[in-house]
Amino acid sequence: MYIYIDGKKLFASEGETILEVARRNGFDIPTLCHHDALEGVGACRLCMVEITHRDWGGWKGLVTSCLYPVEDEIEVSTSSEAVLRSRQTTLDLLAARCPDSEVIRWLVEENGEPSTQYKQATDGSKCIMCYLCVRACEKMGCSAIGTVNRGVSKEISTPFHENAESCVGCGSCAAICPTGHIEMEDSRTERKIWGKTFKFVPCEVCGAPIITEEYRDYAVANRDLPADYYTTCAACKKESLADRFGKVGS
Amino acid sequence: MTTQKTYVVIPSNCTGCRTCELACSMVKGYDGNLGRSRISIYKIGDERYMQMTCLQCVEAACVKVCPTDALVRNEATGAIEVDEERCIGCGLCEPACPFGHMRFDVDDGVPNKCDLCGGDPACVKFCPHKALELK
Repeated sequence: MYIYIDGKKLFASEGETILEVARRNGFDIPTLCHHDALEGVGACRLCMVEITHRDWGGWKGLVTSCLYPVEDEIEVSTSSEAVLRSRQTTLDLLAARCPDSEVIRWLVEENGEPSTQYKQATDGSKCIMCYLCVRACEKMGCSAIGTVNRGVSKEISTPFHENAESCVGCGSCAAICPTGHIEMEDSRTERKIWGKTFKFVPCEVCGAPIITEEYRDYAVANRDLPADYYTTCAACKKESLADRFGKVGS
Repeated sequence: MTTQKTYVVIPSNCTGCRTCELACSMVKGYDGNLGRSRISIYKIGDERYMQMTCLQCVEAACVKVCPTDALVRNEATGAIEVDEERCIGCGLCEPACPFGHMRFDVDDGVPNKCDLCGGDPACVKFCPHKALELK
């Protein structure tokens, strides 16, 4: 089928979202909660676009492009007045919620007037409730984090803010967090995240940290690779292989 | 009929100058940091050197452990490439590689691995001794 984005006729496959088609064709739609490998939830509201249905008598409406499946012959505008106004309001609210977030400040500056009419939060939180961490954790098969509390005190945490048994300390949540809200602290021997302290498996040659013990056990059980893959660090593996290759020719 | 070329290392031509490491780290945005180059030169014994870089395994362990299919083979070059938009940063590909060619730096959030520069590797171009070839 074909859809029109900013007047350009583009091919789209059934089941694709507007965002997928737009990005594939080089249109710039800002997002914070979108990730190609995770199911969309439409949480950040930055990817709003305006669509016009010709066969609905020219019906117009704002939709989240990350969730909206393409339909034949719809017209999409990525920068109409309504879209820009919606984006500005969303950014205003995000900037007021997370004034410490660099990425939000950057998005505000990119998208016009860096001013906010809302009262700024002072709790230092950078969480925008995008659920990327929750979805990544679920993808890993751990589902150790989720939302706790309701309404304005809703936050992402482990159940009852206690040590989650299912958390293996992989760090995906911290890596995927778009605003850097999730704190993870690594030393040579330990990783601290979600209030839990994990011990690293040390490289048997040089002692460098490889992955957490829990993560190794989890990977051995779920990823079909033997435990001895996780005993030596990458640098030592490479060095010993180079040594073995070198001896072949001598 | 495949048109894939083969990346060849010729250790007997290598003088250990590490120009390949420098070229790699410059091209890949690591600003001359040889430790983050995707190719490494090792000294074996007194006068010999060995170039080590990703083998682009046919049945790659890194691909096997990736939960989001973020490691994808480029059929044109034969290289396994990182689709950064699909990587969730679990970091399991690093320990999964039995040869140590996959590096995952927590600060980057995505793995650092050889992608044969899309078919025109900088290391091959810069090697002054014809110790690396693509043929």
